Amino acid sequence: MKRTWFIFKVIFILLVVTLAMLPVILSSHPWPVASRDYLYENALSDTGAVNTVSSIYLGYRAMDTLGETLVLLVSITGTMGILINLGRESEEEEAVSFSLAPEKRATNAQRTHLLEVVASKLGPVVLLFGFYVMLYGHISPGGGFQGGVIVASAIVFLALGTETQSKLTNTTVLGRIETLSFLVLIIVATSGVFFERGFFGNPIKSGSSLSVNFIILLNIIIGLKVGTSIAVMCIAMMGGRHGH
Amino acid sequence: MVIERILIFLLALVGFSAIVGAKNIIKKVFGLNLLNSAIVLLYILEGSRIGEQAPILGEGVTNIVDPVPQALMLTAIVIGVCVTALALALAVRLYKATGSLEIDTISARLHSEQ
Amino acid sequence: MSSESLFLSPVYLPLLSAAGILFIKSFCPTSIKRIAEYLGILIGLVLPLLLVLRLYPIVQNQGYIETTIGGYAQHIGIIYRFDGMSLLLILLAAAITLPAWIFSRNEGPGHSYFTALLLIQNASIAAIGMAADLFNLFVCLELMGVTAYVLIATGKKANAAYASFSYLMLSSSAMVFFLLGTFGLYNLTGSLRYEAIAMGLETLSGRNQYVAHFSLLLIIVPVLLRVAVMPLSLWLVDAHSKAPHAVSALLSGVLLKVPLFALIRIFSLSPFASSLALPISYAGAVTALVGVLLALSQSDAKQLLAYHSISQIGYIVSAWGLALHAGVTTMTGSLLLSASFFHAFSHAQFKALLFLTIGKTTDAAGNRNVYTFRGANQALRNVGERVPLTMLCFLVGALSISALPPFNGFYSKTLVTYTLKGSLHYTFLTLASVGTVASFIKLSRIFLPSKQPMVLPAVKEKNRFPVSSHLAFILLALSCLAVGLFSEQMILFITRLISSEEAQTYGSSFFFTQDNLIKTTLTVLSGIVLFALAVSRPGKYVLHLLEKRRGGFTDLFLGFATALGALALFAW
Repeated sequence: MKRTWFIFKVIFILLVVTLAMLPVILSSHPWPVASRDYLYENALSDTGAVNTVSSIYLGYRAMDTLGETLVLLVSITGTMGILINLGRESEEEEAVSFSLAPEKRATNAQRTHLLEVVASKLGPVVLLFGFYVMLYGHISPGGGFQGGVIVASAIVFLALGTETQSKLTNTTVLGRIETLSFLVLIIVATSGVFFERGFFGNPIKSGSSLSVNFIILLNIIIGLKVGTSIAVMCIAMMGGRHGH
Repeated sequence: MVIERILIFLLALVGFSAIVGAKNIIKKVFGLNLLNSAIVLLYILEGSRIGEQAPILGEGVTNIVDPVPQALMLTAIVIGVCVTALALALAVRLYKATGSLEIDTISARLHSEQ
Repeated sequence: MSSESLFLSPVYLPLLSAAGILFIKSFCPTSIKRIAEYLGILIGLVLPLLLVLRLYPIVQNQGYIETTIGGYAQHIGIIYRFDGMSLLLILLAAAITLPAWIFSRNEGPGHSYFTALLLIQNASIAAIGMAADLFNLFVCLELMGVTAYVLIATGKKANAAYASFSYLMLSSSAMVFFLLGTFGLYNLTGSLRYEAIAMGLETLSGRNQYVAHFSLLLIIVPVLLRVAVMPLSLWLVDAHSKAPHAVSALLSGVLLKVPLFALIRIFSLSPFASSLALPISYAGAVTALVGVLLALSQSDAKQLLAYHSISQIGYIVSAWGLALHAGVTTMTGSLLLSASFFHAFSHAQFKALLFLTIGKTTDAAGNRNVYTFRGANQALRNVGERVPLTMLCFLVGALSISALPPFNGFYSKTLVTYTLKGSLHYTFLTLASVGTVASFIKLSRIFLPSKQPMVLPAVKEKNRFPVSSHLAFILLALSCLAVGLFSEQMILFITRLISSEEAQTYGSSFFFTQDNLIKTTLTVLSGIVLFALAVSRPGKYVLHLLEKRRGGFTDLFLGFATALGALALFAW
């Protein structure tokens, strides 16, 4: 009885959602071209970036990017808070074991030879690639976020693969880079206010060949912020050293 | 044209039914990801209907796709990832507290504790 | 500074101080950390409020100030528009965040991450109030949502994690539908800017109009979900009652109302959207009544308060819906909207006060059951309180929510019911206020002296009652009283911000008419009768039945689907 009632409920929910979604998904209205044409004409002169996606998400719609960086910051703070509280609690109360026991963590028992070899060799290369994607985001596909995620995965590779503890996999150091780059990001975003360009305005005069530097700068900061914070979270989830 | 959209719709529906119907909370989180990805695909697919080339201006690039949906989806993807991370951390917390990943068991055990 | 930089200050100043706090936390020793937090709250919360209030004359004269972020062309950039409602929302957020933060210093979770989260949340609220761009609204709503999930999850028990998880799953999947709605509108109009969307929607015809309607529906319902109107309110009780007390105060004081008033701009996109306002206002009236009945049936003190939040949101939504139905620019519409906001503001104050005092009291005794918990004052004295300020402040809150003069609740509720006179809503809301009185008599009983000797949790050492908690209580209680005493000025302030026309004044002669006083007396009397019925044997049985009805995870989505389906049916 309970089961049928449950199935009935699920079917009802899916039916309503289907009816609400279908008209929008199946709409045959042609895609608007106005903003594409405008961007094709003006994006390069407005922001200096060849990659139009970069010029939108760090130029025209930089506010969205700021919002998403904040979402990332908040959710990682929350995730770390939950995980660290768990670590504290498990000493006191009898909890179900989820990650490896602390005595196993130090020796990294989950590491096999294959993983070690592949991850430790791959790590530096991926790190380099991440910085490339980050720095060249304004002229090629990529940007701060993508580069940052690649950097984060490189750090995870290094954390998995190397026995020695380097600064790069130390969560305290990573956390410091993260907060520093966040502070710099907000200061850069606000700097336009003092240059009479408004919030998130490019303080460098637009149209000049230097104006693209603003986007490069934002790409680097966001890349560092995203890379370090995701790396910190992954290392914490792997049961590594808590520095927060 | 239409068949692609129907496929995307089915993807979204699979995701949503996992959120609503699946018992396992990890599966629910996956469902949320699927639902999110379906909408992201829809944006990218429809935005690319008006052009052929990647929106990177350069020599000989004339017929670019609409870059706006791509930039928007960049944001949406990151937000999706963040929410997923948070949901998974909460799932770990729930699992440690109740020893189960089934939503009904979790809710029953938590309420009997009170 | 130009006025553009000035009105964006509630967005970037909190962010700047949040970043500063996090930076100092990871680099500097503990002693500086605390100073940084106080400084951060000062710069991030108080300073922007003062700066924004300076814009009051400009807003009153021009209606709004507008800017494109980064100074790009209007049709491609993100537009932020600062109007009276934005100012009011910033004021609301700061007025509740400050006492909640003060309270959290000693009662938890008062660490520096919490302060940074509060500041980020305030920035997101300011951004929601100002954004005139659909996708940016999505980002800001998600930001506000994520901070809410994290704040709820800071609760110590695993219950809080469950509440946060269900709210997260429901709200995030609803926001995906918001994204789909944005897709539909962008596809149709080629813009994300409100004005361009509104213009684009006017020229549509035939099938495309349907698409537009469904897109709007997919945008409106997820936002209403955050507001917790009745079929969408199932997530609220767990989230609000399991969170830490300071967070509960914020959630029900601020986070419920901000999306509602931000929706006004979406509703003005097309005449179709404003036709949806009427059924929503009816849903609000029903919410007010059902919410209070459920509140009366609760045995857990914080759950009782959480159901009251639902009920009071019903008041706010019914006035809000009728305001949009009449048109915000019309005389009646702007009066209704002012009444709605005034009640939202008073509700934020007294509900925050109630959550904080009840939270402190129940913590002191280690008991949250209103049927068994007696002698709350003894329990408070046990943790070091000398003067029964907590009880006094709780009484201020209880009298405010029961709409007794001279507190703010009386004025705001009277204004709301006055504006709704003659409609079906009026009956519902009057009945609901009877229930409110009854349930607060029930809740106040915890302060009665206990007959049996109490078993109090042992206190390790003779600690003093934290001054910060008292400060937070007194701050909120005094503001309840002040808004009540200066209600005339307050209403004038709100109406002037909402409509540019010459506003009518509502002085004491308007509130203290014979009718109103008789009505208040009758409400209190029937509240006492209802309470007597509720504690009688059959009453207890019925209430127990009501209390047992709690929904599971799927029911959250059932509520969502019902709301979506009902509005779609209405539209069709």
